[in-house]
Amino acid sequence: MSSISLAERRQAMGFCIYCWLGLASLVVVVWASFAYLSLDPMRLFTAESRGYMGDFVRRFFPPDFSADYLQRIGKGALETLAISAIGTLIAAAAGLLLALPASGRFGGVAKSLTRFLLNFLRSVPELVWAALMVLAAGLGPFAGTLALALHTTGVLGRLFAESLENAPREPALALVESGAPATLVFVYGTLPLVTPQLIAYSLYRWEMNIRMATILGFVGAGGLGQMLYYELSLLHEAQASSVIMAMLALVVVVDAVSAWVRRGQIRAGG
Amino acid sequence: MSFELSQIGLVHANGQRALRAITLSVTGGERIAIIGPSGAGKTSLLRILATSIRPSEGRVSVLQSNPWQLSGHELKRLRARIGVVHQFPPIPPRQRAITAVLAGRLGQWPWWKSALSLIYPADIAGPREQLARLDLADRLFERCDRLSGGQLQRIGVARVLYQRPDLLLADEPVSAMDPALADLTVNQLHSEAATRGVTLVASLHAVDVALRWFPRVIGLRAGEIVFDLPAVKVSDGVLRDLYASETGILPTQDNQPLTVLPAEEAAVNGLKVVVPPRVI
Repeated sequence: MSSISLAERRQAMGFCIYCWLGLASLVVVVWASFAYLSLDPMRLFTAESRGYMGDFVRRFFPPDFSADYLQRIGKGALETLAISAIGTLIAAAAGLLLALPASGRFGGVAKSLTRFLLNFLRSVPELVWAALMVLAAGLGPFAGTLALALHTTGVLGRLFAESLENAPREPALALVESGAPATLVFVYGTLPLVTPQLIAYSLYRWEMNIRMATILGFVGAGGLGQMLYYELSLLHEAQASSVIMAMLALVVVVDAVSAWVRRGQIRAGG
Repeated sequence: MSFELSQIGLVHANGQRALRAITLSVTGGERIAIIGPSGAGKTSLLRILATSIRPSEGRVSVLQSNPWQLSGHELKRLRARIGVVHQFPPIPPRQRAITAVLAGRLGQWPWWKSALSLIYPADIAGPREQLARLDLADRLFERCDRLSGGQLQRIGVARVLYQRPDLLLADEPVSAMDPALADLTVNQLHSEAATRGVTLVASLHAVDVALRWFPRVIGLRAGEIVFDLPAVKVSDGVLRDLYASETGILPTQDNQPLTVLPAEEAAVNGLKVVVPPRVI
């Protein structure tokens, strides 16, 4: 009992030599980064900077809750909501359309081509699409809607294609063998198998897109984001803070609604 | 002529031979059971008749045409005339029974009718009538994932009855049903075939069901036809031979021992000793 060999002691040690080396190099890299960027974290803790921070935060209060401004925020929130809803809806429709060839229904060439297109749409972030769309379509909600629709089409198209590929084939085959035309085979034999998944994916992306739509305004694509960017540029901190609160409220409400809808969906499905 | 197979052979993609030199010709209105041990090729044979797989060798003619020489459009029209009951009903779980039954006519209806039917059923009386024949009328608007295996199998049968095909094929159509419902279902398939004068071919694992209901019985083993006899001529010896490789017990639907008179005696008496039909 008392005789524990050296080899055993070595095994008992939960941390290996490479782990120590890895940890050490991590510390070195972090230190080097601070040095390279000439950041001095200690400056955060001086009395002077504490004063500055206090001042900075204080300037955001009280938020501007005047009826006039609240009305403008309401409009902005509605715009954000509309951008995300229309963007997601367009993306769901376009995604389903592209998912058909991407799931290999029209041969290998069509499959690779649409997969490439979907990957391209998906790999360009929403913010970059928004910046491009502002250049193409001008400032405003239209650019934001297009940006969300483009990126989300890539995401949903890919997910839908995978759902379609993984759906059991027997129901569709049986209909093919009873002489049904291809489109009807799809709506009677395949779509019922995947709709719950398609709806769940779309709702999830909509939820994400509402959060995204609040940010897209920063590049001029409309909604609450654009208001926030405008107020911050003019150093209107009170107004900016009410916009930030509105964003927070919007996201909380949407999360709750989405969870509620999905629960209903599951109940209807179960 | 319902169908004609000459020297049909089938080799699966993995090189395994499923059927060998099957020659069979069947005139309209016949009712045929295919029996044999599992893996004998019953399903493969039915799938060739259903034009879902193309045989590797030999000639097929179904409802007076060679399915593999038809254009895509003509093949669709031929397939709309062939009804297949699958062993595992190929129905999406979330589909309602009525929609699953209506799907039997997708090959016959104009597409807009089928499409609108997803919003409001184009025909309610028809599916209800077919489901009523199978004692399922109360499940008309039920979702298929709320049904039991035997109920789902009957939905599959109702779909094919609703299709009104000129050739009725059934692959183990009653495998998930209790004996009483199995009898009811086979009886309905028979009366459909009889009243419309179409051919019914069913593969069955329960020998007693085959002998009780089908005038002509084909025994299949290892991809070859071992016997093709009127049911009255199917003797105990022939059956033991067919299932020789299995346990020595003849498979029946409720695992009751099956007694069949030797062929000579049966011929003398002109009848067979099997459990009498419960429903006719």
